[in-house]
Order: sequence, then C-alpha cells, then structure tokens
Amino acid sequence: MTKMTVTLRVWRQAGPSARGRFVEYAAEGVSPDMSFLEMLDVINEGLIRKGEDPIAFDSDCREGICGTCGFLVDGVAHGPDRGTTVCQLYMRRFTDGATITVEPWRARAFPVIKDLVVDRSAFDRIIQAGGYISVNVGAAPDAHAIPVPKSVADNAMDAAQCIGCGACVAACKNASAALFVAAKITHLNLLPHGEPEQHKRVVAMVDQADTAGFGSCSNEGECEAVCPKEIKLSTIARMNRQYARACWFDR
Amino acid sequence: MKLESRIPGGPLADKWDRHKFESKLVAPANRRKFTVIVVGTGLAGASASASLGELGYRVLTFCIHDSPRRAHSIAAQGGINAAKNYRNDGDSVYRLFYDTIKGGDYRSREANVYRLAQVSVNIIDQCVAQGVPFAREYGGLLDNRSFGGAQVSRTFYARGQTGQQLLLGAYQSMMRQVEAGSVTLFPNREMLDLVVIADRARGIVVRDLVTGRLESYAADAVLLCTGGYGTAFYLSTNAVNTNVTAAWRCHKRGAVFANPCFTQIHPTCIPVSGEHQSKLTLMSESLRNDGRVWVPKDPSDTRPPQQIPEGDRDYYLERRYPSFGNLVPRDVASRAAKGVCDEGRGVGETGLAVYLDFTDAIERLGANVIRQRYGNLFDMYQKITDENPYRVPMRIYPAVHYTMGGLWVDYNLMSTIPGLHVLGEANFSDHGANRLGASALMQGLADGYFVIPYTLPNYLAAAPVPAVTTDHEAFTEAEHAVQARIDRVLAVRGSKTPREFHRELGRLLWDDVGMTRNAESLSRALTTIPQLHEQFWQDVRVPGKPNNLNKNLEYAGRVADYLEFAEVMARDALERRESCGGHFREEFQTADGEAVRNDERFAHVAAWEFTGVGRAPLRHVEPLVFEFVKPTQRSYK
Amino acid sequence: MPMRPMKFLSSSVGTKVLIAVTGLAFFLFLILHLAGNLLIFVGPEAFNSYSHKLVSNPLLLVAEAGLAAIFLLHVVKAVVNFTANRHARPVGYAMKRWARHTSRKSLASTTMIVSGTIIFGFLILHLITFKFGTYYEDPTHHYRDLHRLVLEKFSHPGLVGFYVLCMTIIGLHLRHGLASAFQSLGIEHPQYNRLIRLGGVVLALLIAAGFAAIPIWVYFVGTR
Repeated sequence: MTKMTVTLRVWRQAGPSARGRFVEYAAEGVSPDMSFLEMLDVINEGLIRKGEDPIAFDSDCREGICGTCGFLVDGVAHGPDRGTTVCQLYMRRFTDGATITVEPWRARAFPVIKDLVVDRSAFDRIIQAGGYISVNVGAAPDAHAIPVPKSVADNAMDAAQCIGCGACVAACKNASAALFVAAKITHLNLLPHGEPEQHKRVVAMVDQADTAGFGSCSNEGECEAVCPKEIKLSTIARMNRQYARACWFDR
Repeated sequence: MKLESRIPGGPLADKWDRHKFESKLVAPANRRKFTVIVVGTGLAGASASASLGELGYRVLTFCIHDSPRRAHSIAAQGGINAAKNYRNDGDSVYRLFYDTIKGGDYRSREANVYRLAQVSVNIIDQCVAQGVPFAREYGGLLDNRSFGGAQVSRTFYARGQTGQQLLLGAYQSMMRQVEAGSVTLFPNREMLDLVVIADRARGIVVRDLVTGRLESYAADAVLLCTGGYGTAFYLSTNAVNTNVTAAWRCHKRGAVFANPCFTQIHPTCIPVSGEHQSKLTLMSESLRNDGRVWVPKDPSDTRPPQQIPEGDRDYYLERRYPSFGNLVPRDVASRAAKGVCDEGRGVGETGLAVYLDFTDAIERLGANVIRQRYGNLFDMYQKITDENPYRVPMRIYPAVHYTMGGLWVDYNLMSTIPGLHVLGEANFSDHGANRLGASALMQGLADGYFVIPYTLPNYLAAAPVPAVTTDHEAFTEAEHAVQARIDRVLAVRGSKTPREFHRELGRLLWDDVGMTRNAESLSRALTTIPQLHEQFWQDVRVPGKPNNLNKNLEYAGRVADYLEFAEVMARDALERRESCGGHFREEFQTADGEAVRNDERFAHVAAWEFTGVGRAPLRHVEPLVFEFVKPTQRSYK
Repeated sequence: MPMRPMKFLSSSVGTKVLIAVTGLAFFLFLILHLAGNLLIFVGPEAFNSYSHKLVSNPLLLVAEAGLAAIFLLHVVKAVVNFTANRHARPVGYAMKRWARHTSRKSLASTTMIVSGTIIFGFLILHLITFKFGTYYEDPTHHYRDLHRLVLEKFSHPGLVGFYVLCMTIIGLHLRHGLASAFQSLGIEHPQYNRLIRLGGVVLALLIAAGFAAIPIWVYFVGTR
C-alpha cells in the first residue's frame, strides 16, 4: 500500500496561561487507512523517543460517539468530512504532501488546557441547569403508560444524538452554544415526559449558556455543517420559540 | 479466606424481596450524614450517583473524563434487555433469568441473575420517564427486537445508540443531583488508590489529571464503577482510556479478583488494517439478523467475493448450527471465525477476516429496508474501510469486547473489603462465562438504580464506624505510595514508549490468552508477561512532568497495572481446566470442536487474592449451587 | 415562573428576537417606501401629491418617531450583540474556513455588521439629501416639488453610483437578514424552510432592484 507524507502545523500551548504557537511536524510513512488521531499517535511516539513533549489531544472511544475528541483541521471543526468526528477522519481524505493546520476549539467558555485540549465543563453546567427530566428512581410509571407518536420519538432521537463535542461552538463565528443547548431542549421538550418542565428547562439552560460566556446565534448554520451527528438548525428555531413563550407567557 | 455470597434463602422469586425487607434502612434525616464515593460515571456509576443523591446521601462522584457523559457505556450500540413481554411471545422474568444463566454457561449465581431479570422491567420504565427516546412503533408504544440469538423479542433500543441514550439519561439524572447539591462532581480525576482503615474502605486517592495534584477524599463507603479490563489486549472495542487501574489498586488493597479469564470476544468487528491501529470498531451484532457469514471453501481462492459462486462458498455457521445459524452466541461465532481463518480460509489482506454478506437480504427486502435497519452501521463501515457494504460483503473479525470477570462481590455487590462495593462491568457477578447481547446495559443500570440503593444502606446502617478525615495516616501513606509510583515511572527514562509496551502486551495476550488457549500457551504467557513487566520498569520512557496534563504519564500507569494484571488473567485461564463461555481451552473440546465444561470440578467462581507483586496470588473458590436450573450442555445446533 | 420580559430582552435569544422584529418592521417600511417611490414612474404629479399627502398627515410625526425608535433599537441591539459575540471568542483562529455541506454562511451573513454600518451612514446622507434637501415649491399646487429635487440629484452620475451601491448593500443585508429573522423568531417548518430562505433572497433582490431602478431610470431616461 502506498504511504503518504504530510506536514502538520499544530498549535502547541504548554498550559492554560502559557503563550501558544504553531509548530511544524513532518509525518512520514502515513498509511491512508490511518485515522487522523492514529497519525497523531505515530507523531507522538516519535516525539517521545526524541525526548520531546508529545502533542496533547483528547480522545477516547475513537468511534465517533463519546464526543471527547475534536479540533480544527485546516480551519474546519473535525475536518472536511460531513457528519464525522476527527477520530473517524481517515488519512486517505488528504493528498500526499499536504500541509495540514491543526488548532484547538477556541472560545471564552472553552479555555485551552494544553495544546489541543480544551475545558468543556461549561457544557456540563448547562445540562446541570435544566437538561434533565425530574423523575426519581422508582417513581416511574409503566413504560407504556404514555404513548409517544413515532414521529415525535424519532425527532427527539435526532436531537438526542448530540455527543457534546463542542464543534458547534468551535465553528460558530460567535462561539455560540445554541446548537448544543437547542438539541437537548428539543430532545426533552418534544417528549410528553419532558413537557411539565419545558419552560423552566429552556429558560434555565439558555440563561446558563449566556452566563458561561457563549455568544448568540447568527443563523449561519456553520454549526449544523460541522456537527458530527448532523443536528438540525431547526432545533435552534424551536429553542428561540420556546424561550420567548416561556419568558412572556408562562407564569 | 471464605467467600460468603450472602445469598438470601427462600424460593428464587422471593429472594430479592425478602432481602430488601430484611435489609436495614437509613432514615431520611440521617442519610446526608453519610458520604459515599462513586468512582466512574458510566451506566453503573452515573445511575448509582443519581439514585443515591436522590435518596439524600452526600455523594462524591469521580471520573477520568473531562465530562461524566463520556464514559464508555456511551458506545454500546445494540440495546437493553427487559422481561416486559410486550410482544406476547413467551418472555418472562424466569425466561430472561434462564437465558442469562444458560448464556453464561452456568458460571453465574442464580440469585443475582434472577434479581437482574426482575429489575430489568423497572429499568425500562425509569429510562422512558427520564426521556430516553427508545424506538417506537406507529401506535406510540415501544418497539422491541430479537437480539444476540434470543428467541424472544425483548431488546429495547434507540437506533444504534442505545448505550448513548441510556448513559445520557443517567448522566442527566446525576447532573440534576449536582444541581440539587447532593452530588459533587470531580471530573478529570483518576483513582490511584483505595484507602482502607480498620479493614474498611474509607476513601480514595486520586490524581487531578489537569494539574497533576494528588487529592484524598474520605467517605463511609466507596462504589467502584470503573468498567472492565478489555484494553489489556491493547486492541479492543473499548475506548482507549478504559483501564483496570482503579480495580487493580483495590485488588492490591485486598479485594479479590474473580474469573479474570472470562473475556468476551465479539464476532462482528471491523478487521485490523495495520500496525498503527489504536482500537477496533464494533459493528452491532444485529447485523447478523440479516447478514450471512461465509468464507471461500478453498483456502487458495483469491477471487473477489462477488465472483465466488454459491457452490464455492462455505456458510460455516449455517452449516454447523442449522437451528441458530448466523445467530449463535458471540463466543461460538467468534471461535468459528478464528477456526476458519486458522484453516487459511480467512479473507482480506491480512487473511484475518470473514465475509458478512447482505446480498440475499438486499435481494429479499430491498436496499431501502436494509438502509433503514442498518444505515448508520453501513455508513460507519464505509467510512472506516472505504468499501461499500451494499455492494461488497463486509469483512469482519472478532475483537475483545467485554469482560465478565471483575472484582468479586457478594449479593450486596460488596467486595471482600467491607465498604467497597463494585458495580457494573467492574464486578464479576451476573454474566458467568459469557454475556448475552444487550445485557451489559441492563446490568449496569440494575446495579446503580435498583440494587445499590437497597444494599448500601444495609451496610451503612449496620456498621456505625468512627468518622475519619483525610488527615488519617492511612491517607498520607496511600498518597506517598501513589507519588512514589509516579516518580518511579518518570525516573526510568528508558527507550520504549508506554504504547509500545501496551501493544506488545496486547499481542501476547491475544496470541496466548485469547479466543482459544491451552496449557502450553498459558504457561508461556506466565513467563513472558513477567519479563515484559520487568522490561517495562527498566526501559519505559515517559515524557514530561507530573504536575500538569500528561497523558503519557496516565497511560504508563495504566499499562503498568495491566502488566501486573495480565499475569492473574493467564493464571486463572490455566487453572480453569475446562472450556466454558468465553474461556475456551483447546484441550477441552469435543471431536467437532464444541466446548466441554466440567461442572464437577469447575462449577465455581475462582477469586484471586493478591499476595504481592511478583508473587503467586492465592486462588479461592466460591462454589456455584444450581438449585433451580439444571446445568446442561449448551447446544445451538 | 413569573413573566420576565426584561430578562428576556437582555438574553442572547431575546436580543436576536428583538433584532429580528425590528429588522422585519423596517423591512415592511421599506416596502411601503418603495411603493411610494415607484410613483415616480407614473409622473411628477402622482409622486408629489403622494409625498404631500404623506407629510401633511399629522400622524406622520408619530410614525417617524416610531420608525426612528425601531431603527435605533435594531442598531443598538445589533452592536451590543456584535461586541458580546466578539467577547465570546477572545482568541481567534489562525485558519478558519467555510464548513460547506449545509452551511448557510454567505458574504451577506458574514458582513452584517459592516453592511449595517454602511446602511446607517447612508440613511443619514439620504435624509440630508432628500428629506432635508432643497425645498422647491410646485408653482401650481403650492406643495413641495420633490420630483424636481430627485431629478436634480440623480442627474449627478456620482450620486447615482453611490445610491446603486448602497441599494446593493441593503439587498445584501436583507439577503441574510430576512430568512435569519424567521429563524430567530422560531418560525420554521421542514416543509417551508426552503421557501422562507428562497423568499428572503427574492425579496432582498426585489427591494434592492426596485430602489436602485429609480436613480438609474432618472439618470438615463427621466431627465430627458
């Protein structure tokens, strides 16, 4: 099989308050069947052997579902493939001899910890604010007590697929978390089980996102285009609608 | 050491109810006086944190991820079993119990499994109420499918992302308790030691993975929910950060480790493509519902699959197991694939793959139906392999997927260290020698939502223990030990990376302690593992410093623990001189290659006690008593 | 939960809703304005009499005040929003590219603050040029002969060019603004989303072309 050589321009930053810069690395003998992260693994192995500090990046499941990995590849969150996390991006997607720029998510609410690793705990705080249905263990009625139309369940599932990777924030020119927040609101508010708390939920979550320092939505849809789970921009419209209703009419 | 299972008496169906009634309670006003540490936030850990938080305990929850939502339960695809019998097809609590005991090849406790089947129905209710968007039918009721060879449709699912949705449900419930103040969350923390004071688990030492600081936390009980040890094999379907470290450090503090040789190999994974491979990707087992598994009859047949005529194909599962065909249990399907590859009939560049062919299903049902059922899986396959499975048969190969063994626990999920409870994949309890499809999610949530809220109070109420703080010398001692180990691994400054050692260990385990083992391979492993272990401490190279985010330092610690752990895995496999479930000893098989169990000598749980690094562990035995089900030879013919 | 309109208006979502509502209101004004302006094609009489009726209506002041308020609210909210969004990403990217696929990012969407600023400047010049421009009196009807002023102004090719440019920029602003307003207000339906987006583009084009047609027509035809 043919091997490739690529040059990487990687953002290196030793710590949260350290100054960062781009450093170039040559990756030789890259197999087209390698994932992007496996290619970074190989570079890191080389760096360790040379006694240099390897590139810090987050990853875990490496099958696109845990949401741990993510950085910008040539200016696009998770790289050029549609509906793909960077762990599922394969080197065959690049041309031999290419120079690839790798940069961390950038947002006030996602401070850089090291190199390509950022702190996304702001997302947890948004869920904490209201991204749940208040039902204690043991208190649930039979699962069939409330039928849910298939189309509603399907739409809820479409939104519920969000993996919380933060690509939407990274891609947005305003570093807005609107797609993340809207996905969870859509998932829970669509279902009859989530209805009793729908207004409280949307207000609490939107306000928490504002407090965390995320920007607002400019309806450009860059988030939708980079979302590994292809969450729809229409969830944001739904969130806006529900937020307005909750603020003005609910008492 | 006597392993007391504490299984309640009485008829099978009444044991759990009776036990719940007989268990002591903690009054609501007293609960906040008890601190409970939960380590891990997968299905077991998140659900335990949520339910204990709801009850009013003071819960401290730790995870190695940047967010608790990333635990590896999230990757489970297929579904979750429950004995709801919504299909009217003959399912019942007893049948789920029976199938699980049989599927586990009669190496699990009847009482535990029955309880699991009982609470399975409550899990579905709970998850639906939490907003888990399970698949539904047009009437608005829940859909079910038959999964993993079960003859009833009892599997609930959320597309191919059931684990994700269940985990998010548990995570959200836990975050609700964080908001309520009953659960305090500590992400980016790796548990590196258990603190035992007066023979009870009283706290943990963790490393803050971002700052590198060691921190101690004291509690009245510790719940270990840290998953399995599948990544001992380096390549597995598990997330790359999963590890045995927390469980292993508890083991070194006195918790015995049960059945470490029981490892599940999943038959439908995407084959290895090269040395660089960092993990293997599972394709849901549901694919076997419509795909047919085959290899060429002739080992020298190198034609592309579409050009091989029917007559030259060997649909070996259908041939050998006419009644179950492609739906035989995981261990059987995996071994059969290894078998045909060993015969030289494997396909693909490496020869380590078999075809999973959808041509017939597409002809019968149309490509659209297949796309609806498996679209996301087909897309994933194409993304990884660059081949279109609608046209070319998929290539699949078995990969390490789940570990049935784990820390030994009694009926209350308590280990041999009082106060240390172990939940989910980290314990050994419910799956015997082989886990059925869609049962892991069930067990994780059962333990966290419906078992521990009853059994933990029984421990807390029964044992008024003196309060301890992290000023206690045991904490200082543990922190020192952890620090010393970190300093030591950084000081080696050798020439090989942690990954190289891990890869080597994985290859060694896969070859000698893998899908099939024999006395010779296992004895060999027992010499090569300690050698590799020794080499690790002489030649590992860990870059960077201990006082910041240092992924290779974390990794080196985990690999070091795996190198200690691997030995007991091999030893357990060597001592268990029978074939059962995921443990297949080549010496113990029938003429046509089926596993031969030895109920007379090995109808027991083997639990290993740590006696020191480099010293042989002690093997203890908990006999398994089958009061209600007669062990029979599994047959899927 | 109590009603909380004030909190709403200061939230990220509320801000966008406000920008959308004021933007749409101003868009409606533009349609009326254009309809009136198009009378220039009918003739001086029709144009001047319409403009006379408009300015002699005592309610006009109220309407103008309302319009100014809407416009200022739109501007203030947009600027506040822009700075808040800038604040949300203190360190920018070294390389950032269009994400392709379903992205609706366009020249229009990325330059809203620029086009908005230009429009603001244009509006002031526009008011100075016409509303507060030379007062010619129509000798027969004794009301303002605005038609004459228009013809006079648009006989300068520079001003014609400037107006056409500004109308293009208004069109650009509307091209993103119209459909975006619907999204901000939460008005969407899978069946009509395409229609809304297409409608936004078509209307933006019509408004820009309609307004731009006047100076062009005046310059090439009207003064003859």
